[in-house]
Amino acid sequence: MVITDPVYFIALPLLTAFLLPLFGKIYKPLIGIIPGLVFAFLAYISFDLYLNLVPGKPIIIQMAGWAPPWGINLVFSEFSGLIVTLITFLAFLVWVYSYNFKKVGFDNSKKYFTLLMLMVAGSIGVVLTGDIFNMFVFLEITAIYSYGLTAFYKGRDSAEAAFKYLLLGSLSSVFILLAILLLYKQVGTLNMADIAVKAQSIDPKMKSIIAILFFVGLGIEAEMFPMNGWVPDAYSQAPGPVAASFAGMLAKSGIYALIRVFYTVLEVKGVFDLLLIMGLLTIIFAEFSAMRQKHLRRMLAYSSIGQMGLIMVAFSFNTKAGIFAGLFLMFNHAIIKTLLFLSSGFLTYSTKQKKIRDLDGFGKIMPFTSLMFGLGAFAIVGLPPFSGFWGKLNMLVATADSNLYFVIALILLVAVVEIVYYFKVIGRLYFRQQHKDVEVHNPTWNAILAMSILAIVIIGVGIYPDLITDYLTKATNELFDKAGYIHSVLPNLSLN
Amino acid sequence: MKKVVVIGSLGVIVYYLLSAFVAIPFGADIIKGVKEFYLQKSPDDLKVANVVTSIVVNFRGFDTLGEVTVLFLASTALGSILYHRRSQHSGLNPQRTSVEASAIVQTGAKIIFPFTVILGAYIFIHGHLTPGGGFQGGAIIATGFLLMLISYRKFFIKHNALTWIEAIAGSTFVILGLFGLIYAKNHDFLENFLPAGKLNDLLSGGIIGIIYIAVGFKVGAEITGILDTLLTVKETGLDPEEN
Repeated sequence: MVITDPVYFIALPLLTAFLLPLFGKIYKPLIGIIPGLVFAFLAYISFDLYLNLVPGKPIIIQMAGWAPPWGINLVFSEFSGLIVTLITFLAFLVWVYSYNFKKVGFDNSKKYFTLLMLMVAGSIGVVLTGDIFNMFVFLEITAIYSYGLTAFYKGRDSAEAAFKYLLLGSLSSVFILLAILLLYKQVGTLNMADIAVKAQSIDPKMKSIIAILFFVGLGIEAEMFPMNGWVPDAYSQAPGPVAASFAGMLAKSGIYALIRVFYTVLEVKGVFDLLLIMGLLTIIFAEFSAMRQKHLRRMLAYSSIGQMGLIMVAFSFNTKAGIFAGLFLMFNHAIIKTLLFLSSGFLTYSTKQKKIRDLDGFGKIMPFTSLMFGLGAFAIVGLPPFSGFWGKLNMLVATADSNLYFVIALILLVAVVEIVYYFKVIGRLYFRQQHKDVEVHNPTWNAILAMSILAIVIIGVGIYPDLITDYLTKATNELFDKAGYIHSVLPNLSLN
Repeated sequence: MKKVVVIGSLGVIVYYLLSAFVAIPFGADIIKGVKEFYLQKSPDDLKVANVVTSIVVNFRGFDTLGEVTVLFLASTALGSILYHRRSQHSGLNPQRTSVEASAIVQTGAKIIFPFTVILGAYIFIHGHLTPGGGFQGGAIIATGFLLMLISYRKFFIKHNALTWIEAIAGSTFVILGLFGLIYAKNHDFLENFLPAGKLNDLLSGGIIGIIYIAVGFKVGAEITGILDTLLTVKETGLDPEEN
């Protein structure tokens, strides 16, 4: 039991990040090698823990010997375990992709790997923790990581993007903190299960103020309209692997926090209707903005916001089918967007202005990267036989189950918009004459490896979705079963 | 028009937030819950006289590890967002942005500096006995360094030493936590595995005192590093937090 304690997911990356500057003093390449070993180990133990999880019996560990609600606890359940496994897997792939970044130099790569370790610790912490204030602390860690690495390439634009995110992110932190403060005043505890038990006694007016504060604060992290002004700037200014980590890991922990708070901790009337409306607005705003973008990265960023909106809509149904579709979309978005950002990293690196029209004819000169980008684009718009198809199909089924026919129409309309702007890029990649004097940067072997693994997962799940549907169903049941969560965290409590 | 809309919507937000916070009576004993447990267990089980410390380092020690990490991240990331553009024609390398202080300030700073550091160290060493602790003590130590930084243009901080202190202090925190998994009674992260000692002794509270000393070192080194980053322009390279 000692070696497979979920606390390692947080303690090990933190320890590595603290020690990384010292490793760099001993032998410089260690700053790239050690994070890889840690990520590989974390990915291994997360798969091991997740596959051996007994249904209905989440692994719950307490900190410092105090049982919840007095101490902080970590909950590795079917739902949180799924997200943690996804995060560690993607973190390992991002490392494989980026460990060879020679061009940025020793000090920049030291900073990059230190911050990456901390971000992984932070986003896993948000997902695993069973304590609302602890969640806030880990959200802070992920937010500061984003400010720091958005401004990785020094320049006016990236400093502006980082500063914009800094302002919005601080606003989000303040809102979440105020919400936690008011909540603590009402119930006198910070443990999520304990709050869930005592939340019925809160005055409804106070409850809705708390809910709105949480909604806005976590909505900024989850890229919800209209609080997502930071997303396009941050995604387009950050380096490729960092943008991939935003889409694959940070956005996932943001939406996880939102869902966990409103599904398990606070039951507020009407919050799911609000989530539905905001999700729909997010989709419409993002997809139509994406169509008008001239820069590849900004287009991907808007598309990412659109996907997050779709996930919010799926969770807003508050039905099992909706949660299942939302989880499938989360999985797809994490895997596919990571592939798109990783491949676009090399595509834009070879262009001068990172614009879409600079990509003419890249299919011939960068065949592998273009193929990967094309595969990602086909998958994200939802074409069979890729995994994106199953996500969208389940989404439509869940929408039909909830009798929201105008939402079905909207999702289909948006799918057409997505096809338009993704195929515009693919058309340029494959059916245009290439520009003269293009400086080609072919991907390194490790980048090829990382992208191939992602592509294999996308095609594998697309052809044989049963690979993951079983786990997604279990996660759905876990999230839907609020009483079960409370009971497993606080076994001595009698629910009355 | 825009201003009216902004002021109007801000007014609505402020009204509702105020109405929520005004409902909390000041100073009254209103919050029931985990509080009683902490007040009772701190002196009885943990043998820690300062209840705030026992909450910060033990009951919610995992949060504190996170907060220390936030500070570490901030000092690592700060160089990316706030940095001085390198000036081509400056002579000194590296260079302080402030001007040289007067002789009175310089002499005063020299006298006060060691006492400030000792006061900071006293506060974090006695974190489990008296008010204050690692964060406060570390901040006081950083104040001492700030005094020296603004008084002397030629006072430079060795980033190498800061890196070592940060790394060792941070890993002490995590490693003590991991020892809890092996040696402590319940095999929990951050659980006390040393003898708790006698209430009000300097050597009481087990790992709580040691962790707070590590936090003190780490916070002191990090805030000093942040201040140095903000006050110094480096000639070489674009990266100001570079050693």
